[in-house]
Amino acid sequence: MKKIFGSLLLLGIGSAAAAQQPTAMVIAIPPLTSPDSGNKGNEMLAIGWNVTQAIEADLRQTAEVMPLKPNRDDYYPYPEVTGPNFTKWRQARAKTLVTGFVQGRSDGRVTVGCYVYDVEKGRELARKGFIIGANDWRRAAHKCSGLAYTAITGAPGIFDTRIAYVAETGVGEARTRRIAVMDSDGQGHRYLTSGDAMALTPRLAAKGDSLAYVSFAGGRPAVRVIDLGSGQERALVPGDAISFAPHFSPDGSRIAFSMMLGANSDIYVASASGGALRRLTTSPGIDTDPSFSPDGSKIVFESDRGGSQQLYVMNADGTGQRRITFGGGWYAAPSWSPDGQSIAFTRIGQDGRRIGVVGADGGGEKVLTSGPGDEGPTWAASSREILFQRSLGTGRTTLYRVSLDGSDPRELATPQGGSDPDWSGVAE
Amino acid sequence: MRVKAALLLALLLGATVAEAQLPGLRRRGPTPQQPVLSTIDAQRAEFAAQSGGTTVYFGTNSAILGAPAKATLGAQAAWLRRHPAVVVRIEGYGDGLDTRDHALAVGARRAEEVRSYLVLLGVPGAQVSTTSWGKERTGLGRTVTILVR
Repeated sequence: MKKIFGSLLLLGIGSAAAAQQPTAMVIAIPPLTSPDSGNKGNEMLAIGWNVTQAIEADLRQTAEVMPLKPNRDDYYPYPEVTGPNFTKWRQARAKTLVTGFVQGRSDGRVTVGCYVYDVEKGRELARKGFIIGANDWRRAAHKCSGLAYTAITGAPGIFDTRIAYVAETGVGEARTRRIAVMDSDGQGHRYLTSGDAMALTPRLAAKGDSLAYVSFAGGRPAVRVIDLGSGQERALVPGDAISFAPHFSPDGSRIAFSMMLGANSDIYVASASGGALRRLTTSPGIDTDPSFSPDGSKIVFESDRGGSQQLYVMNADGTGQRRITFGGGWYAAPSWSPDGQSIAFTRIGQDGRRIGVVGADGGGEKVLTSGPGDEGPTWAASSREILFQRSLGTGRTTLYRVSLDGSDPRELATPQGGSDPDWSGVAE
Repeated sequence: MRVKAALLLALLLGATVAEAQLPGLRRRGPTPQQPVLSTIDAQRAEFAAQSGGTTVYFGTNSAILGAPAKATLGAQAAWLRRHPAVVVRIEGYGDGLDTRDHALAVGARRAEEVRSYLVLLGVPGAQVSTTSWGKERTGLGRTVTILVR
């Protein structure tokens, strides 16, 4: 009787959700089960419930997937992991189903199994198992969320990723800005700089092992690199030149950035360890905000060499520079998508700053946000969402995410105000 | 309508000045009450009084020095040549509506243009350094403005 009630409840929620977001794929996530019995089994079921809730929270962040709220009454026995009750989930209007289990191992760790099914066709879409420490269940949940998201959308999941940003507190003179890093679900938040000196534009290396940013500690803005493992920090290049706008190459071996030589800002590239400095642009205009293509062969950047800020693409050695934006208005702060197809930008016009995307060849420009204080786009690993900063009229700046499908931007919660976000790829 | 960007010349003496380099207001406010001036405060006040101000203005997205800016800088250069022991830092600001990194570059370019002009007028290069605050601190610095004026 209880079970039937649970299903009816789910049916109601599912319908309401589908009515609100007709484009989102409804996914059911009943609580993960366990083959273990007794106390061990209860322990595993408790972990499984944590994992289940974390998967729901992950998928709820996305524009494409709409999770039904997990219900403990939907518990199923272990054999049903690989033989689910499709009829029940069809009735709940779920299109996709996640099942799984948590099993204790003799070494104290646990195995988390994760299965994704097409409910309508009664077909398995994906499955994967992970061995983790019992306290590390959140990583397993992110991996499972990513498996489901990829099975549904074909794009990489965004859940086992990190976001670096500038945490802002106070206003006016009392404002402090510190570099912070957190998991994309807001967990594991930590500060990397003390706040004694202003810090801007953190940029993560793809592997997540180091971070470049701009520090005002020496009185002039300069790019610094932090090794996230050891906490060691150093200037990217020697000397006291003004340098800014760092961006790692996809393999993490190089950093492209801007440096002032007299009144001229050009783009340079150096090895991430600081050597092999090479100048890539020589125009008398302001060249800045370089961003590598995902294969590392090209760099998109911003230049006002033609009289207004526009986007240009060049080969990673500086050759073949050509303008790609011709839509009128000014274009700034480009970011190349992880799938290589698109370039996000900040467009500056009479109506303020807005976020948009353009094809990597310069075609198909589309503005995604209404502004007027939006800037600094960075891509989700899925290439389907963009994170950016939005300045509100109150003087407060916060992080927002917008999906390429044109749905409304949503705020990404941070402990304080936030700016200059950078979203990493999926961790190994 | 973009707000005109300001560029501040703050006076430095030795290494004690780190806290006193904040940007100034963009226009003169009501005359503040003057505290008893220390040496550096006195020099700041004298510099500001004798050079027609510590701020020069630029057009939107421009680093070109107009006639009023050159007049101010001319007076500053004369004062700096008479006070060779005084070190100044030129702090450039970008436009508040610009994007972050472009604003940093514009601020640095403005500061560099001012420095070049002062050097052209005979101020030793070692006496003037530059930095850029981009759009990060525009509209701040009320306190320091009172200090130097």
